[in-house]
Amino acid sequence: MNRERSLWPIVARREFVERARDRGFQVSTSITLVLLIGVIVISALFNRPTSFDLGVVGEGSDAIAQDVVVAAKALDIGLDVHELADTTAARRAVDAGDADAAIVDAQRIVVRASPPAQLVALIQAASLRQRSRQALVSSGLSVQEVDRALLQAPLPVDALQPVNAKRREAASVAFVGVLVLYGQLFAYGYWVASGVVEEKSSRVVEVLLATVRPSHLLRGKIFGIGLLGLAQLLLIGIVGFVAAKGVGTLDFPSEAIATLGLVLAWFVLGFFFYASLFAVAGSIVSRQEDLQTTMTPLTIVIVASFFIGISATSSPDSTLAVVASLLPFSSPLVMPTRIALGDATWWEIVASIVVSVGATAALIPVATKIYSRALLRSGRVRIRQVLRGREA
Amino acid sequence: MSDAAAGARALELVGLTRRFGDVVALDDVTFSVEAGQMVGFVGPNGAGKTTAMRIALGVLRPDAGEVRWLGRAVDAETRRRFGYMPEERGLYPKMRVLDQLVYLARLHGLEPEDARARAAAMVQALCVADRGGDRAESLSLGNQQRVQLAAALVHRPEVLVLDEPFSGLDPVGVDVLSEMLRGQADAGVPVVFSSHQLDLVERLCESVVMIDRGRVVASGRIGDLRAADPRRLVRVEVSGAGEEWIERVTGVRVTEPLPDGGIVELSDGVSGSDVLDAARAVGPVRHFSVVQPSLSEIFRRLVTR
Repeated sequence: MNRERSLWPIVARREFVERARDRGFQVSTSITLVLLIGVIVISALFNRPTSFDLGVVGEGSDAIAQDVVVAAKALDIGLDVHELADTTAARRAVDAGDADAAIVDAQRIVVRASPPAQLVALIQAASLRQRSRQALVSSGLSVQEVDRALLQAPLPVDALQPVNAKRREAASVAFVGVLVLYGQLFAYGYWVASGVVEEKSSRVVEVLLATVRPSHLLRGKIFGIGLLGLAQLLLIGIVGFVAAKGVGTLDFPSEAIATLGLVLAWFVLGFFFYASLFAVAGSIVSRQEDLQTTMTPLTIVIVASFFIGISATSSPDSTLAVVASLLPFSSPLVMPTRIALGDATWWEIVASIVVSVGATAALIPVATKIYSRALLRSGRVRIRQVLRGREA
Repeated sequence: MSDAAAGARALELVGLTRRFGDVVALDDVTFSVEAGQMVGFVGPNGAGKTTAMRIALGVLRPDAGEVRWLGRAVDAETRRRFGYMPEERGLYPKMRVLDQLVYLARLHGLEPEDARARAAAMVQALCVADRGGDRAESLSLGNQQRVQLAAALVHRPEVLVLDEPFSGLDPVGVDVLSEMLRGQADAGVPVVFSSHQLDLVERLCESVVMIDRGRVVASGRIGDLRAADPRRLVRVEVSGAGEEWIERVTGVRVTEPLPDGGIVELSDGVSGSDVLDAARAVGPVRHFSVVQPSLSEIFRRLVTR
């Protein structure tokens, strides 16, 4: 019976090709990608590291500027110094926005309207140091003595809640991951359900059942749609990664790739679980209009898991997040985040995978049974009745 | 037709029984369709025709009995070489016609190359070649019906089972389909189809299987069924007499009223000339003949309603 075994890939292929060729799918994928790139670019613009343009004109200004450059560097602030011809040129540059501030003759700071506080403070401090130094040197102290007195190391800062840049980035990548994963699980699960209803309502299912077993029909459908979901997810991930890397938002690219891998893996885990349930939701109705009703319990569970997933990006070790990361219906939306943030222990990860795979393995035969028996029934089919009944 | 003889090349339904809850849809249904034969499967609504056909195709399972082809119980592998047209027509509404046929051909075991060639040949043969790239939902109902037939034939089926293939067709469509089915039967394919259009069945088929309330009430060649009918039927018409008079003739039962008379069944002890005398008494007799019972009449007699 090799031939029979080879039927479900034909079903899967149709699901994949027909849906990938669908214009609606192509348009929505394009929109998703454009939105993603847009969000990445905009957030890059807002999170750009602070940097100033400083104009200098006249004697002594440059020395102050050099001092400012050194101090700015220590604070991780970028500074470009522009030599300007004269006071008029300096004022014009500041007025036109080409310079954020200008030092004129080491005497005066020119700014446009509200002074950029950080920059002005840096200039003030530098100028103060310069003038103190000159004053002390002219009062008879040696340059060495003056420098020893003035060039003190800055006070160490003891942050009580230090910002972990790596973790912060991991959290935002995980956030996007949860968002996308939620969208994928929901959209592709819905596709499985509506695909089942389409075959029922168009009656094509009877033509198919004359040659394909219901279980193979279901398997082909889930694999085909799942593969498309995985491919789209991969595309979104790659485009997102390249865009973020391109605009320089990603400081830890290898961590981002690891998170992407987690998202893909948990999509597979979550999809098979949810797809089986969505197939049941689809098989027990005969019209698309009735699908919303049977999908409601699933919708509620996915949305709730999504919110837990979002909350886990900020508090991955809360009891709720820990429990949710172990349950089969919520783990796809919670566990990748906990792993990405380094808050999941290895045994939790293993337990989550085992529970997910085990639950799916237990679910598929039941789902297949309901699906097979409900396929040729019209109207709203009661699950209990179908399970108690007999095979077609 | 003994089992041994039929075993050669025939689709056999043997002792099929199927219940849905308390309803007995099929009760020990047995009949066979030989290669090259076209058999009409007739019976009132709800008699069990669709259930029997679904079981033949493996869409449903019987509680008892089996389906045989070439003398052996059919399995999934054998059924893939059957062609089926369900009563509820089914195509993917959004899928392109040609893709749809290729897909179904592949599911029936054809290799991709062969499937494409056959699909193209089918749309050509059914005169829908120019719609091959269109979505099924954009086709007229008649053209969808043609595609449905193409779907049943695309994989060169060894056996054809069609549930109400003629319903909804215009006379030209009926002719096209009749010819295609005749062609299949002539090529050695056993063809069985259900229909409520008994005159059509009478014209197309040599044999029929009549089913009522899940039981086969008659089967065999139509000629034999006629010969086996014990009734004596007479058709009589009297010009301008209206349809009332025939009801008053004694010793007959009207089986089919006609404008100026009707077809009547003679009771025992009543002869045709008695009826003719009664007609003459009413007026000028325009028509008088002894008639063979039509399939519809045999049907009405055998099917209890």
